[in-house]
Amino acid sequence: MSEILIKNACVIDPLRGINAETMDIAIRDGRVVEEVSGAAEVIDAHGALTLPGGIDSHTHICGTKVNFGRYMSPEDMRAGRTPRRGPMHATSGYSVPTTYGNSYRYSAMGYTTLLEGAMAPLEARHTHEEFTYTPLQDTMANALFDGNWGIMEAIRDGDTKRVAAIIGWTLSAVKGFAVKLTNPGGTEAWQWGKNVSCIRDPVPYFEVTPAEIIRTVVEANELLHLPHSVHLHCNNLGTPGNYTCTLGSLGLIPDLNPKRQTLYATHVQFHAYGGSGWKDFCSKSEPIANFVNMRPQIVIDMGQVMFGRTTTMTADGPMEFNLHRLHHDKWSNHDVELETGSGIIPVVYRRKNLVNSVMWAIGLELALLTKSPWQCLLTTDNPNGAPFVRYPEIIALLMSKKYRDAEFATVHPDTSARAPLPAIERELDWYEIAVMTRAGQAKALGIQDLGKGYLGPGAEADVAVYPIHIDEVDPSTDYRKVIEAFGRTEYTIKRGRVVSRRGECLVDGSNATFWVKPKISDNYDMGKDPDFIEKFDRYYTVRMRNYPVQEEYVNRSRCIETEAEI
Amino acid sequence: MRVTLAMKPAAKSSIPIEAEAIVPKNFLSGTDLSVWRGNRELKLDEVFVVSVEGDAERPEEVEVVLSGDNIFRLKRVGEYMDGGKITILGDIGMHCGNFMSGGSIEIHGNADGWLGREMAGGTIVCKGDAADYCASGYRGGRKGMTGGTVEVFGRAGDFLAESIAGGTVTVHGDAGDMAGAEMHGGTLIVHGDCGRPGANMKGGSCYVYGTAHGMLPSFRKIGPIRHEGRTLIHFAGDVANRGKGNLFVKDYEYLD
Repeated sequence: MSEILIKNACVIDPLRGINAETMDIAIRDGRVVEEVSGAAEVIDAHGALTLPGGIDSHTHICGTKVNFGRYMSPEDMRAGRTPRRGPMHATSGYSVPTTYGNSYRYSAMGYTTLLEGAMAPLEARHTHEEFTYTPLQDTMANALFDGNWGIMEAIRDGDTKRVAAIIGWTLSAVKGFAVKLTNPGGTEAWQWGKNVSCIRDPVPYFEVTPAEIIRTVVEANELLHLPHSVHLHCNNLGTPGNYTCTLGSLGLIPDLNPKRQTLYATHVQFHAYGGSGWKDFCSKSEPIANFVNMRPQIVIDMGQVMFGRTTTMTADGPMEFNLHRLHHDKWSNHDVELETGSGIIPVVYRRKNLVNSVMWAIGLELALLTKSPWQCLLTTDNPNGAPFVRYPEIIALLMSKKYRDAEFATVHPDTSARAPLPAIERELDWYEIAVMTRAGQAKALGIQDLGKGYLGPGAEADVAVYPIHIDEVDPSTDYRKVIEAFGRTEYTIKRGRVVSRRGECLVDGSNATFWVKPKISDNYDMGKDPDFIEKFDRYYTVRMRNYPVQEEYVNRSRCIETEAEI
Repeated sequence: MRVTLAMKPAAKSSIPIEAEAIVPKNFLSGTDLSVWRGNRELKLDEVFVVSVEGDAERPEEVEVVLSGDNIFRLKRVGEYMDGGKITILGDIGMHCGNFMSGGSIEIHGNADGWLGREMAGGTIVCKGDAADYCASGYRGGRKGMTGGTVEVFGRAGDFLAESIAGGTVTVHGDAGDMAGAEMHGGTLIVHGDCGRPGANMKGGSCYVYGTAHGMLPSFRKIGPIRHEGRTLIHFAGDVANRGKGNLFVKDYEYLD
């Protein structure tokens, strides 16, 4: 039995409505409890800001695509090198670091739970293997269904239950956590050298439209009672004028679940562009944020862009090819059989580039214009908008108008004519930041029932103690202190153990992987469906019995069983 | 100040020594430096007979002289050097003068691969041959040498001045294959022959005073010009990369 008592903590715990109360947190055997014995190890927080462990609901840290980013960019491995130290392994890399690099840097920032944004089901085993070596965070992965042949055929036949059955079977086979749609239909069209321009274009051969895919998969997701909603990367990413397509996609979404959102729209910054080309490119964050404000069934994440170099990687293959033609740099594309594809290119976001400057502004505008912080979460779509190590700067930008103005003065001079950012006065407070980085993320992922995202009794003891006293620091002027504090915790506690202290990781960690297993009736068991089996035999390079990821691959497996309505 | 480092015969080992500490400015604060052999840290005087004459206040006043039979085992000598002089009486190992920004390195023997990789300034003179990737970039990098000069009196290996973006490289002998590949800027002069010069070049100037073997078809021929008393044939390209580089060759033969 291990016990810890964190004393004099200044706690912000939005899921319990606690805003900056000084209190003690008692921890026994990895859970928060009412009280502990006198023998407990005492950590005195001295009134420092104490939050539930950070959660990143959309990041790319593990899997074949991330690994290919590492292969492709040996120059990235020359940055961020740290030697082996105590239990810490040597790390290297900046935008696509090694798995340990990701884990240690996230832990130093107080993050304890990560969701890998896109896992190709066929290549899931690799993702789980890398999760094993991400020791300080609990992990889970979205499985990609954007170009799944079985699903598109079922949608064409109007059979939503079959769509749900295929999703349910695949998620439990590959130990995935939620459904990801990346440019639905578009990645499949790309196997024919095409794309879809928006939600009404038919996908070649399958003759279904992205709108039908989105709507049916959203319904199927609710039939399965999955903890998380559909996780959507809209069509037409990164093109001027795409905000109409985004609004159209968001408009398809009914309100189906009283507990959480019905759709999680990811990196919306990349989908909030106006103009008819790069010459009149501008921000359309206002209509998007207004729309989200009216639809409680939708949660978005920022996909904030920060200046500097990074690597972009997405299952949206055609978009990456277009970016490659723009940048003339390295490029990789990958086709995953009957399921999805991906593309990877390195990029540099520059202040002197007008388009990049407007992109930088849009992410912040979305966060500031969305009224409820529960509906707009803080991410960079790591590493697409920027590596996650830039989160502290983003937090400071959201909290300080002065910092935004100082940064705005350094970007392309025409940006003010293209983006409303300078006119936005709002400054987020500590509570709202806590929502955007932990409570809102836990709620959106549907993992608060598993003890994530809060610090009440019964919660998993994931705690981050930041070296900052919020009554002494005015974030709107002392933004440097905010950046410093959020960059390195005093203590990061993962499941009741201090895993990181002032940026140094102390233990080797033992993370858990969350995955879902919907209980589906025998009629809809795809493992016994003759058509589905035949499709496997005819088209896949693996046999159906080799496809599922064995539980041995899943580190500290945490299976979430749901009762499906089929 | 003159620092003489004579490598001890006893220091012979098949494992190369990482000697990035051997940079003139480091000797301003004494000779208490260490180098690495594999995972073992060795004091400078375990590997060398160290002698110091005179004193110095600025790196520019420091000359380091390396000698011994095994100095070709030393890697990364002069890495990040910004002033002073290193004289190498013999052959030197890989990565000599990496990222160098000032001062000079004189090599009386041959240099192994990556001589002057990504250097930004200063001078390297190699009296013998230089191996592959002389004055080039590194794996995945977009830029090789960005400034300074490298002069090789012998031959150079393959990928000479790959990704060079500034500075001048002169090779008095022949160069290997892919000289000036991915060139963005700067000047490359090869007095002898070389293979496939300027492949995928975007900018800069490449002069081949000998024969360009395996000349790439993606260069646009402009015609003969006079250059320092020679008649050379001017090409522009590499068209395949929408490049605006200039390639001047005395003779050329196309790829079969």
